[in-house]
Amino acid sequence: MSVGAPGLLAQEERYEHDFEAGVARSPWQLFWRRLREDKVVLVALGIIVALVLVAIFAPLVVKLFGAPGPNMQDRNAVDAFGTPLGPSSGHLFGVDPLGRDVFARTVYGARVSLLVGIVGTGVAMLLGVAVGLLAGYYRGWVDTLLSRFVDVVLSFPVLLLGIGIASACSLGNGCVAGAITPGVRTVILVVALVSWTSIARIVRGQVLSLREREFVVAARSLGASNLRIVIREILPNLTASIIVYSSLLLPQTILLEAALSFLGVGISPPTASWGWMIADAADNFDTQWWYMVFPGAALLLTVLAFNLLGDGLRDALDPRAER
Amino acid sequence: MPRPVKRALPLALLCTAVAIALGACGSSGGNSGTGATADNGAGGHRGGTLTILTSQDVSSLDPGSAYASLDLNVLAATQRTLYTYKPTDPTNIAPDLAAGPPQISPDGKTLTVKIRSGVRFGPPVNREVTSRDVAYAIERGFNPHVANPYASTYYGDVVGADRATGGPIAGIQTPDDHTIVFKLTRPTASLVAQATVLPLSAPVPPEYAKPLDAKAPSTYGNHVVATGPYMLTADRSGTVLGTGYVPGRSLSFVRNPNWSATSDDRPAYVDAVQVRIGGSPTVSGRQVLAGRGLVLADSPTPELVKQAYLHNRSQIFFSPGGGSNYAALNTAIPPFDNANLRKAVAAELDRQQMRTVRGGAVVGDIASHFLYPGVIGFEQAGGQQGTGADFLANPAGDRALAARYMKAAGYPSGRYTGGQTLQIVGLAGAPDSNDAQIFEQALQDLGFKTNLKLVDSSVLYARFCGLPKARVNACPNVGWIRDFADPQTVLDVAFNGNDISPENNPNWPQLKDAAIDNAMSRAELTVGTQERANAWGAIDRQITATAAAIPWLWDRQPNIFSADVRCVPELWNQGHCDFAYSSLK
Amino acid sequence: MAAYVLRRVLWGIVLLALVSLLTFVIFYVLPSADPAQLRAGRDASPATLHEIRVSLGLDRPLPAQYWTYVTHLVFHADLGYSYFSGASVGSLLIDRLPATISLTLGAVVVWLLVAVPLGVISAVRRGTWVDKLTTGGALLGVSAPVYWLGLVALYLFADDIGKWPLLPGAGSYVPFTNNPGKWFASLILPWFVLASTFAAVYARLLRGNMIEVLSEDYVRTARAKGLSERRVVWRHGLRAAVTPLVTLAGLDIGLLLGGAVLTETVFDIPGIGRLNYDAIIHADYNVIQGTVLLAACFVIVANIVVDVGYAYLDPRVREA
Repeated sequence: MSVGAPGLLAQEERYEHDFEAGVARSPWQLFWRRLREDKVVLVALGIIVALVLVAIFAPLVVKLFGAPGPNMQDRNAVDAFGTPLGPSSGHLFGVDPLGRDVFARTVYGARVSLLVGIVGTGVAMLLGVAVGLLAGYYRGWVDTLLSRFVDVVLSFPVLLLGIGIASACSLGNGCVAGAITPGVRTVILVVALVSWTSIARIVRGQVLSLREREFVVAARSLGASNLRIVIREILPNLTASIIVYSSLLLPQTILLEAALSFLGVGISPPTASWGWMIADAADNFDTQWWYMVFPGAALLLTVLAFNLLGDGLRDALDPRAER
Repeated sequence: MPRPVKRALPLALLCTAVAIALGACGSSGGNSGTGATADNGAGGHRGGTLTILTSQDVSSLDPGSAYASLDLNVLAATQRTLYTYKPTDPTNIAPDLAAGPPQISPDGKTLTVKIRSGVRFGPPVNREVTSRDVAYAIERGFNPHVANPYASTYYGDVVGADRATGGPIAGIQTPDDHTIVFKLTRPTASLVAQATVLPLSAPVPPEYAKPLDAKAPSTYGNHVVATGPYMLTADRSGTVLGTGYVPGRSLSFVRNPNWSATSDDRPAYVDAVQVRIGGSPTVSGRQVLAGRGLVLADSPTPELVKQAYLHNRSQIFFSPGGGSNYAALNTAIPPFDNANLRKAVAAELDRQQMRTVRGGAVVGDIASHFLYPGVIGFEQAGGQQGTGADFLANPAGDRALAARYMKAAGYPSGRYTGGQTLQIVGLAGAPDSNDAQIFEQALQDLGFKTNLKLVDSSVLYARFCGLPKARVNACPNVGWIRDFADPQTVLDVAFNGNDISPENNPNWPQLKDAAIDNAMSRAELTVGTQERANAWGAIDRQITATAAAIPWLWDRQPNIFSADVRCVPELWNQGHCDFAYSSLK
Repeated sequence: MAAYVLRRVLWGIVLLALVSLLTFVIFYVLPSADPAQLRAGRDASPATLHEIRVSLGLDRPLPAQYWTYVTHLVFHADLGYSYFSGASVGSLLIDRLPATISLTLGAVVVWLLVAVPLGVISAVRRGTWVDKLTTGGALLGVSAPVYWLGLVALYLFADDIGKWPLLPGAGSYVPFTNNPGKWFASLILPWFVLASTFAAVYARLLRGNMIEVLSEDYVRTARAKGLSERRVVWRHGLRAAVTPLVTLAGLDIGLLLGGAVLTETVFDIPGIGRLNYDAIIHADYNVIQGTVLLAACFVIVANIVVDVGYAYLDPRVREA
């Protein structure tokens, strides 16, 4: 994944006044208006909401379409040589080599992707914002230390780091003395650890400039404590950025989880995960195309929707020269 | 390290009615009734290059440390051991370096072997092989720089072997250049004679190898010298690393100029052999089926097996007796310290489906005990019918019986209600990962909560299943292959309570049953093929009854090769095509 | 200037040391295969294992082992030995590097050749169907997982199994020195697949930059002076807009030289990424350490080159 994806290079914000109406609107009002007018974003949002609902109500959705459960191994859907059957009336998307319904597993796979994506992004944002705030606000040796640490992490080939940690933490009692148990928690941790650094850098840059603004200087001269300044003055001004970068980071974390699963170090089977299904299908995709196509398409759709949403949010917040 | 790949079986001994029905007793000893016939390679022409495709590299080229089935396949063409198995007769040892049958003293404690003359080392050593070379080869197995995996198991009874660290061993004597004598502490001479089929007894020239063995680890493998019809291409100093062997890439074999056809039964038709390493079995398999002069060393995927079986029947050979696959249950810790729970799991497991995901009925028989077809003692343990254990009676599983065993174990609802989450460790990659998931599903159907981890085979044994302190509850993808035809090699190390060790433990279920251990101690010393068959067959029944491990497949290892290849499969080594016997049409 | 370069290089060396230490710590925690067990096999007694360990120096405390590793690396350029492959780590890296370099450089050429024209055109023809198509395509490129794209590409075009057999499929890579024709053909699909994501990102980036640049004052001046639109766009606009792309490309090259694991896996290309991944799966510690160091090296060097380039162009940066 390119260093420049998904457009997470440091950007400044500009707030414009809506001169047409002759009224000075707040940035938030402008933001909502632009968002509402962007058709593409609304469609993307609709898809995402649908995906989240499908993920939450997976058992219902599966039942609605008359498919068996995701872990049900249907002996009759596999022939005498172990070759699975393709899409049929009993199995909309065909079955995998163990006779499990691909439609059901694709639906349940949404749970994993969305859960890891959302929570992983949340944790990454938390880490990144915290570090960026500290480094940007306190500057000096704190900044130097933290920035150097970020440098070290960024020099590390991150996917390999992710593979290593995922591999290490997915056995027995997990790692960090059992706090990170094997399974979803490990993957969330790995995904967050790999993604937080770019956020930290951006936030640091913004905090560096924010802290020199008049309202911060004023607050300080009034004797407000550092904590108060950070929470009441700086953080609110970061909110917009945080929203935008979260939504830009989300599709990346979803792809990262799928990549880890594809390489066999993500969510362990038999839990359905799109990346793992694609990997499992890779050997025989020329004869068992359904097993690769459907999870892949689901993954593509999800990531695309989030990317569109992220783009739309960024454009709504920062419409330089009408993208 | 235990070989997760399979090996083949001895057929000649076991041609009972049942075996004939299996089609396991063709005149050339290899017709399993499906696929091609094992032949002696005649009909092809002299010359040409045979190309082997494999996804995995060889582990070692040093006959003192090689153990995996591909290593053995390679060494069979380049090294001559005292005795060997002919490709089509995996039961009776035949003299290779030896001039005649082994001479065993009446008390069974002395083994004398005469070595034939006229066998010479390949370049750069070039001289004639003497008994001192064989002695050194075995002695160096005890050197930690060489670290032979089976030296202490099979040569441990030699006088002085318990103190050996690579230096001369008192019990190995060479009264003259062509005689080697083994003096043993116990009457196990016939077992030692059979053990010489393993590569350790291939001669190694001490003056050439000692400086290499002084390094840690020994680098003899990079400079290995041949005695067989083929050798790895090497430079003038004998270094094969970089020319004949490019790690992770290729191996190249040419004819050994010092090999004399008159001293050897091997026909050695082909002029050269190339081994190409890397590439997925799926892609390589397709190339083999469609190409020329190619052989696949890996296990073909179920898809490929189906395709070959249906459309290229003459290009696939199912090698009988590939080994036994079983699921080991950890008997040392809860919950599988409870025998009824183990039996419940055994009854619940659908072993037929375990086989289906590997390719279906063509790839093997559903196993019901641990000695597999063709190993001595198989019939005595119950043969194809099984031992009579009720929890293994139905290959597709018996849910009602499983529920009854659960109740007997203290779970009246028929499902597990304890709080423990079971740790299961299986092999990554299809179809092994599929088998692990089927096994896990069976456990979940019984109410267990499980955590499945799929890892690479070296990690599986070194860090999980072979390490008692890892506290793994079940290992569904383990298996065992005989080292040679004797049943002791299948049962002893794998189930003997005295063999449990804190690391590198081969007794994965950690079975420690005094009655079984005593029976094994007695059976080790039993002399006579029929007597050993009875003794070990009975032990197999006892082990099966404990349900410490659930046997699920006796492999018929599929091997595929191009249409123009006359493959002579090594029935003693999972059907790998033997270079020195195969030919091209 | 020289002082700046020196400072960056020194910091780069420190970074490498820290990365190696971090690798040592992390991968020690991994469930690694014990080299002694790998060599000794299933029947070795604990006594034998212990002897092997002593002879290999594995029984000494960890810091001592790490120190030995570092001194070997620095003074003897010895990266250790891979017990799994039976070869020195250095030789494995040298063996695998050409494939990764081939893959990376080819992909860079492809994505730049695709991204630059598309980015410029969609910026100039902003709002038209060309723009929408490009943007849509770019979004797809960014959203599709590279391994899935690779599998689909193979499914469609691989000469052994594809619907329209055009190009060599997975596993057909041969080194350039063996057969240049086959080398080239076998890399076409991987290049395009790997380039797809990057092309998408770069096209979008260039489009955004171009739009900004084209609205700048000096561009309006150039237009007013009567220069042709083409000259304005390509000579003045592109030159300014492309600079961030060049630096980004430098960083991405550094990243990719560390190995593109996913692409190498799907197409079975024996590169550094695959080597690293296999080493992690087989728990071959020395190889892991070697490949991670190599990858970090490339990233750090790329960063230094980019930073020095900036410093050369903008003296203010040197003070930072």
